[in-house]
Amino acid sequence: MEILDCLGKRCPLPVIELAKVLKIKPIGFQITLLSDDPASAPDLIAWARMTGNNAKVIDATSFEITKLSD
Amino acid sequence: MALPHIFEVAWPDPSKLGVDSKSAALLLNEARETFAGHLGVRSDEITFLGEANIGFQLGISGLMSGKNRLVYSNIDRMEVFAVAKEHQSEQLQVSSTGQIAYENLTSEDVVALQLCNRETGTIQSARPANCAGIFVDATASGTRIALPENWSTALWDSTSWAGPGGLGVFALSKRANWSNPLPHLDNRINPGPTSLPLIVASALAIDSWVADEKNLAAKISAINSDIRSFIMANIPDADIAPGGADHLISASFLYVNAEQLVTALADKGFAVDSGSACNATNMQPSHVLAAIGLLTQGNIRLTIHHATTFEEIKGFLQTLAQTVLELRA
Repeated sequence: MEILDCLGKRCPLPVIELAKVLKIKPIGFQITLLSDDPASAPDLIAWARMTGNNAKVIDATSFEITKLSD
Repeated sequence: MALPHIFEVAWPDPSKLGVDSKSAALLLNEARETFAGHLGVRSDEITFLGEANIGFQLGISGLMSGKNRLVYSNIDRMEVFAVAKEHQSEQLQVSSTGQIAYENLTSEDVVALQLCNRETGTIQSARPANCAGIFVDATASGTRIALPENWSTALWDSTSWAGPGGLGVFALSKRANWSNPLPHLDNRINPGPTSLPLIVASALAIDSWVADEKNLAAKISAINSDIRSFIMANIPDADIAPGGADHLISASFLYVNAEQLVTALADKGFAVDSGSACNATNMQPSHVLAAIGLLTQGNIRLTIHHATTFEEIKGFLQTLAQTVLELRA
């Protein structure tokens, strides 16, 4: 699985970079996002709900993202 | 009565003898009666606090004995979290609308109940029953929401009725099983002294605030609806906290840096607060937004005041939409 490394980047950068990557990818695309920003866990879940995608918390700094919507 | 005049007449210590102190004591008693009437408590149940947030420690720890368990929620204020660390406690998780379900409360539980959340405006509808005691956090609701009948201790903040800051109103019910958690030698609740001029000014403020609220509640509710519908119609990828108290709105915008948003709005003359991490001194996102599952980035918190006008809001919303667009570019 591809990895998007956002370690050290502060909110809202991880979510912005994720959205940029997903824009050009097909539905069903999966990527692991690495982020140690304290806002990433709540914000990736909220982002997934708002945009119709999926975000799964793997551990404190890694998240599994699935593109489900354009 | 203007504030400078209050400072002229309310300087003496009301607890001393002498003519000046007697008139100060009279002012204090009048203020006490005023608050009692508006807050729905007895005047002898009221204590004024020069440092409002000490009321969380007084109100909660005073109800806890060794056998009690404190039950609070994950959208309570950090001051409640701090007090909970000292006791056996359980933190309840709110639903996606910010509501608490009280299940399995026992007669040994002390409950911290927040009537209204100051960030999202969430109004708590559940009321605990059959427990050892209830501390009511009324710091955001002010006079808007009545105390539950079975309250034990309660705390208000003078700023919630547009009174001076730096003043809390604490109430201890005659029924409560309470002992003072602060070091003390007599039956005084707080060491004091609390500024009498601030108390008198706050009593005047609550009187006029309550009178205004009767006439202005409908306007504030209409402004709230206007803001919500404008954002939903004109700003994509916005997350607005579910409705609650009409004077509070929390909205978050995806892909927006809150610090830049708050600064840009301030430059254009609009003072808003934010629950985003980049705007917090500890760089942590708002625990309230996270607990309810709301977006924490690009967050702004709005307070609609009695004096807020439709014209002001119209200008604000245009500026907001434009600024969010610019920051996302």
